[in-house]
Amino acid sequence: MSDLIVVERVGKRYQTTSGPVEALHDVSLAVGAGEFCTVIGPSGCGKSTLLGMLGGLVAADGGRVLVDGRPVTAPDPRRVATVFQEAGLFPWRTALENVEFGLELQGVPRGQRRARASELLGPLGLRDFAAKYPRELSGGMRQRVAIGRALAIDTQIILMDEPFGALDEQTRMLMGEWLLDIWRRTRKTVVFVTHSLHEALALSTRVVVMTARPGRIKSVLELPMPHPRAMESAEMTALRARLWGEIRDESLRAMGER
Amino acid sequence: MSAETLRVRLLQAASVLALLAAWEGVARAGWVDPLFVPAPSAVARAFARIGPSALAGLGDTLFKTAVAYVLSVVLGVLFGVAIGSVRALREVLSPFVVAVYGMPKILVLPWIVLILGFGTAPAIVYGTIHGFFPILVLVMGGVRDVDRTLVTVARAFGASTWQLYWKVLLPAIVPTVLAGMRLGIVFCLLGVLIVEMFAGVRGMGHVLGSLANGFQAPELFAATALVSASSIAIVLALDTLNDRLSHWRG
Amino acid sequence: MRVLALRAAILALLLLAWEAAARAANPLLYVPPSAVLPALGRLLALDSYPDLVPSLLLTLREIAVAYGLAIAAGLGGGAALGLNRVIGRAYGPIVGALYAVPAVVWYPSLMLFFGLDAASKIAFGFLLGFFPITLAVLAGIRQVNPHMLAVARAFGAGPRTVFVKVMIPAMMFTLVGGLRTGLALSVIGVIVGEILGSKSGMGSLINHAYGLFRTSDYVALVLVTLALIVGSDAIASVVEHRAQRWSE
Repeated sequence: MSDLIVVERVGKRYQTTSGPVEALHDVSLAVGAGEFCTVIGPSGCGKSTLLGMLGGLVAADGGRVLVDGRPVTAPDPRRVATVFQEAGLFPWRTALENVEFGLELQGVPRGQRRARASELLGPLGLRDFAAKYPRELSGGMRQRVAIGRALAIDTQIILMDEPFGALDEQTRMLMGEWLLDIWRRTRKTVVFVTHSLHEALALSTRVVVMTARPGRIKSVLELPMPHPRAMESAEMTALRARLWGEIRDESLRAMGER
Repeated sequence: MSAETLRVRLLQAASVLALLAAWEGVARAGWVDPLFVPAPSAVARAFARIGPSALAGLGDTLFKTAVAYVLSVVLGVLFGVAIGSVRALREVLSPFVVAVYGMPKILVLPWIVLILGFGTAPAIVYGTIHGFFPILVLVMGGVRDVDRTLVTVARAFGASTWQLYWKVLLPAIVPTVLAGMRLGIVFCLLGVLIVEMFAGVRGMGHVLGSLANGFQAPELFAATALVSASSIAIVLALDTLNDRLSHWRG
Repeated sequence: MRVLALRAAILALLLLAWEAAARAANPLLYVPPSAVLPALGRLLALDSYPDLVPSLLLTLREIAVAYGLAIAAGLGGGAALGLNRVIGRAYGPIVGALYAVPAVVWYPSLMLFFGLDAASKIAFGFLLGFFPITLAVLAGIRQVNPHMLAVARAFGAGPRTVFVKVMIPAMMFTLVGGLRTGLALSVIGVIVGEILGSKSGMGSLINHAYGLFRTSDYVALVLVTLALIVGSDAIASVVEHRAQRWSE
């Protein structure tokens, strides 16, 4: 099976007021269809930049990014959907109207997209909130709407950039369980950026650890165990220790830079 | 009504009544020259006398203001979006916009009158200029301040440039446009009145000017009150409209 | 650097276009830029308008008095509105409503009462400058964090100390902004007053040039008046930055 997403030796350099900054250096990665791949690393390691490249929002300096065999040059809403950390809901649209945004851009007729968006509200747990505006929704609900918006366009790949970052821990854990449920039902390919070890271990089939800036792939952990996972088991505890070991050094290094 | 609100209302009512009573008393006692400070009763009577001509003048002013207003809102929003949304334009043109915006437009009024003559045309042109710049600056700022995430989201979902403008930018700046419209009406009215005072043959500005020249104090006060009340009413109406349309903002 | 070059280019293009259009249509009426410099020269040499300096000084005096009065009344009025809840709630909306009236409607009444001399211009400039200052003081007082006042009181400060040592610095930012706007509006008020009807001051010179179709002299006078306005705002801006650095 050829990989759905292929990243070959990409780099990214930014010009800042204090000189050039290398965000990514020689990063290569492959993600197969149906995987839940988590990218984890310290702040500033370039994971959001990497995700941006997969989504066609950021251009790579050197190297290639391929999705479904084709090079990525611009956002492709037929193949890739993105969920951002700030939900990015349009405040003048209701929850339902936000969910159907992607469909609207693609010219899907009103009746059809209404129906599709409404269908999604059930699994999103938002059926009673269809007509509410974002300011009337909690943080968790807003992220669910954002995820619903991504699901609505029915892409094979969903990219998520720390979608639960702004939520409190309990909400995060519940959202993680919920997301897992959606993933297992829809069989989409998810690339998920996070800070959280718990999320990485509880959700993913593969964890990619990045170094501090300039970001490189430090290591890749395969997690073939079935879901849902018993996080207190010996196996998971050992994995957690190993993962933390990988990340800790990088986090220290990132902090030292500041 | 809370106790404090009651006190507030009483204070307001009492102040107004006390002011009117004192004013009437002072005028009647002859402590002020009725030529300069007419009694409230005289002003009230003057309302009836000037009624028809004042209303005609008001109507004329409001008509010119309405035309100037529509022009300044349309042009202000159009240019505001155009300049504000294209970074290159915005960076290069900003100082020009700020400079012209900060310049008191009254300085070009005599020149406009020289070119366009007396009457309706200069009033509409000047009124438009007066309202255009505040709206332009406001909309430019509003466009610049649109949440970047929303633009990124739209691009991530494959929005074309047209879709970006139509589905993201324009809805996002609705509060700014409303604020601009609220601001613009006062500026347009102000501009029209100034032209009417400077070089008018009709309209409230001209009416006020001639009443002052003719030393007709009671009529002048009455007419001033009429214009003020109309202006406050218009602004209140716009504010209410503004509130109704902003329900999603909270 | 490129941006500056572009701006210079645009400015140059505008001036050239103006020159061409004015010459083609009616140079007397549309005043090409080439006619402005000589007119400015004549003006500054006190040739075209010998009483330029006294007029300028008069206008400046009117502005100074108008603004001074506006500050006094604005600070006092704003403080009264801001510090007493009932008074603030009673009269605040009235001030706000009056602010919504285009100020020029008061001017004929002022001219009736004060005549065509400096007094009516001062009164008008005062009226225009008074509102933004009052509203700024009111807003400044209202936005002071009550926690800060509570802390001061907890340390034993009396009401006067609290006002001087906590409230005034806390509202400096808003206040100074209002003072700057007030100056700009007082200046405009005086100039509008002069243009709409006066016997002396810069505005009357402008009117004079306009009335006699001396368009290039008119433009020169406008430029000098603009310099006055920009100068006063520049000074205000410097003072504003100084005050804000101290208060931040």
